[in-house]
Amino acid sequence: MSKHLYLGVALAALTASGALAQDLKFAPGADARFNWASYEALQQMDLSGQTLTVLGPWLGPDKDLFESVIAYFEAATGANVVYSGSDSFEQQIVIDAEGGSPPDVAVFPQPGLAGDLAKKGRLVPLAEGTGDWIKANYAAGDSWAAYGNYMGPDGVAHQYAFPFKADVKSLVWYVPENFEDAGYEVPQTMEELKALTEQIVADGGTPWCIGLGSGGATGWPATDWVEDFMLRLNTPADYDAWVANTLKFDDPKVIAAIEDFGWFARNDAYVAGGAGAVATTDFRDSPKGLFTSPPQCYLHRQASFIPSFFPEGVVVGEDADFFYFPVYAEKDLGQPVLGAGTMFAKLTDNPAGDAFITFLESPIAHEVWMAQKGFVTPYKAVNTELYGDETLAKMGAILLDATTFRFDGSDLMPGAIGAGAFWTGMVDYAGGKPAADVGAQIQATWDTLQ
Amino acid sequence: MDNIAGTRARLVWAVNLAAAVLVILWVVPTIGLLVSSFRDRDQITASGWWRAAFPATISSFVRAGTAQDQFQENGLWVIEGNVLEPGQGLERWGTSSRAPEAYAPGETVDLKDGEVITVAPDGGYRLTAPQEFTNTRGMRIFITTTTPPRFTTDNYARVIGAEGLGRAFLNTMTVTIPATVIPILIAAFAAYALAWMQFPGRALLVAAVVGLLVVPLQLSLIPLLRFHNEIGLGKGYLGIWLAHTGFGLPLAIYLLRNYMVGLPKEIIESARVDGATEFQIFRRIILPLSFPALASFAIFQFLWVWNDLLVATVFLGNRPDQLVMTGVLRELLGSRGGDWEILAASAFVSIAVPLLVFFALQKYLVRGLLAGSVKGG
Repeated sequence: MSKHLYLGVALAALTASGALAQDLKFAPGADARFNWASYEALQQMDLSGQTLTVLGPWLGPDKDLFESVIAYFEAATGANVVYSGSDSFEQQIVIDAEGGSPPDVAVFPQPGLAGDLAKKGRLVPLAEGTGDWIKANYAAGDSWAAYGNYMGPDGVAHQYAFPFKADVKSLVWYVPENFEDAGYEVPQTMEELKALTEQIVADGGTPWCIGLGSGGATGWPATDWVEDFMLRLNTPADYDAWVANTLKFDDPKVIAAIEDFGWFARNDAYVAGGAGAVATTDFRDSPKGLFTSPPQCYLHRQASFIPSFFPEGVVVGEDADFFYFPVYAEKDLGQPVLGAGTMFAKLTDNPAGDAFITFLESPIAHEVWMAQKGFVTPYKAVNTELYGDETLAKMGAILLDATTFRFDGSDLMPGAIGAGAFWTGMVDYAGGKPAADVGAQIQATWDTLQ
Repeated sequence: MDNIAGTRARLVWAVNLAAAVLVILWVVPTIGLLVSSFRDRDQITASGWWRAAFPATISSFVRAGTAQDQFQENGLWVIEGNVLEPGQGLERWGTSSRAPEAYAPGETVDLKDGEVITVAPDGGYRLTAPQEFTNTRGMRIFITTTTPPRFTTDNYARVIGAEGLGRAFLNTMTVTIPATVIPILIAAFAAYALAWMQFPGRALLVAAVVGLLVVPLQLSLIPLLRFHNEIGLGKGYLGIWLAHTGFGLPLAIYLLRNYMVGLPKEIIESARVDGATEFQIFRRIILPLSFPALASFAIFQFLWVWNDLLVATVFLGNRPDQLVMTGVLRELLGSRGGDWEILAASAFVSIAVPLLVFFALQKYLVRGLLAGSVKGG
């Protein structure tokens, strides 16, 4: 018996020391660029012995990065955070919440799903004032706060989710050396981008690599194109109306946005492999055409995560770079940015969950991740010098300079549209169906939901 | 007679040929997977697995050295190196993405600012300039090469060396073995009762079991998990054993009952006449005779539980110490599932144990597959 006891104590000691020795990526106090005051403020919360479970969509390297951020929360408060990732997060969270064994905190990649769960009463509202905090401290804070504000089961809206970690979608990737070889300039306006596209064709090259394939989610990359054009042809108010379906899918404004995408994607000369290859090329394989010899294409429009699918050895910032997907000079719509982000929501009353959200409000939580890679934040109080590389800093600047930030519309629409009819409709469109028919068909599906 | 014999021989040939074609058709995807598991990601995206065994002509580019590699020689700054990997042969080369095949090996080309470059047939390049190099990123040399077939075991090293795989292996074993044994135990009793014991409502019970066969298990995930939480079972091994037992039982009972019904009536009746109790008949006669059916069901259930990811993530949870092998392998695929090369290698790693089980029990499987299909006997 006593032997077991000793063993238990020894084991406990081992695990405890393991938790303490867990190395923090950046030693507290060492690098003055970090906001260590915000880290020390966290130490006032004492959560020793408490456990917090977090479920999120990040796996592999993303998971390691997130855990390096969590480590600071654990070190400051003594809490034990257990993070688990799932590639079928959307199904997993519904099963766990409905089945009665939810994680304390969940990381939603789509606000739509979090809103559904909030309506069913599976989410717990965040502390009072969180919404105001987001509005005050995030660039384009009103939009960000709105994406975490859902109707509860009582029919009253609360702030249920806290946005942390953003993705910038309005980016065009290119290989600077290929531009140099051919003498091309980075276009500043949409008119220049279209002219460049024609120029490349005239020079005997193929301008674009576009791939919509993504298994069961085939078609989503095209929805990003259409959303970007919605923001470049119409006002932000129109965009919001479109997402809420008060501006119908078969409205001429929406059709025009779809057709602008078609200007690029439905021209055999403009797309690597011809227009027929657009719907069948996997989005993960499609950027590889930038790096072949000779280049299969010169341009690729995709979100900030795409470098993880570049061939091995490609250095972003040197071998590959990006520019802001430009706006029409003739339209005066400011600098709209399309993006996405992950939303943290509480599913239980565990007080450690509140403490964790407080942690996410502190600059240090953002700075630890931005100093590594794959993280941009709209938080205005962080030190932007800390971005791990220039590419991230550039993306962060796009986010902070945005006159308008709009969340990926398909993530906000009802699942049957944003993760269904819109995707398949865009595949049909890429396959040659007229834009008006596609718009009418998606609108017809939406009408059946109401 | 000769005629008939000839027809038969031809028939046998046709049957064998058809069988061979079917076998090849079925095995081709597996071979493709096996070949792919030995290729790296760029190879997989560049060409099909059926071209893996032949030398390929590949266009690519390499980077010349940077300012760090330069040295001075006769008043010129020089960077030297080799563009080829062992085994590759140089066909053409170039310095611009616009004309990647502009020059033949051995040609000397003038670049801007008095820089001169030459690439020899053996791949050695020499870049010279009258002034010092300052670049931090080497210039691109585009090459067209013939590359011999190349295979790598890196994928397997990554899968086998994955963090937590050993733990996950034990977890999978902890899940799989009881989840195979428990349903067999219960189903054998039930099948005997449904096959040989007389009681009212027996036919209805059999019909109910057949009915349960068509219930998709996805339907019951949430209610069952909620039930486990309510009775305090929560997420854990007991829960997943019960879940797998429940999901496996209908098929097990159905399969074993149909097999047992086919056992010769005379043996059982004479045992009864000799005064054997039901339990004795079951243990001494039915069980030994049913071994092929038991073994074949054991293989089915083992494979199904071994490969399962859905039930495990729902009833066991996603924490690193709870993950089963399929869970760890899935993690290797990354957040967006782009690492195809890992998929192929992990398939062969996870297939190893089920293959062992299969070969250990296969002589029973062949007999057992016929279980219940032939009446009498």
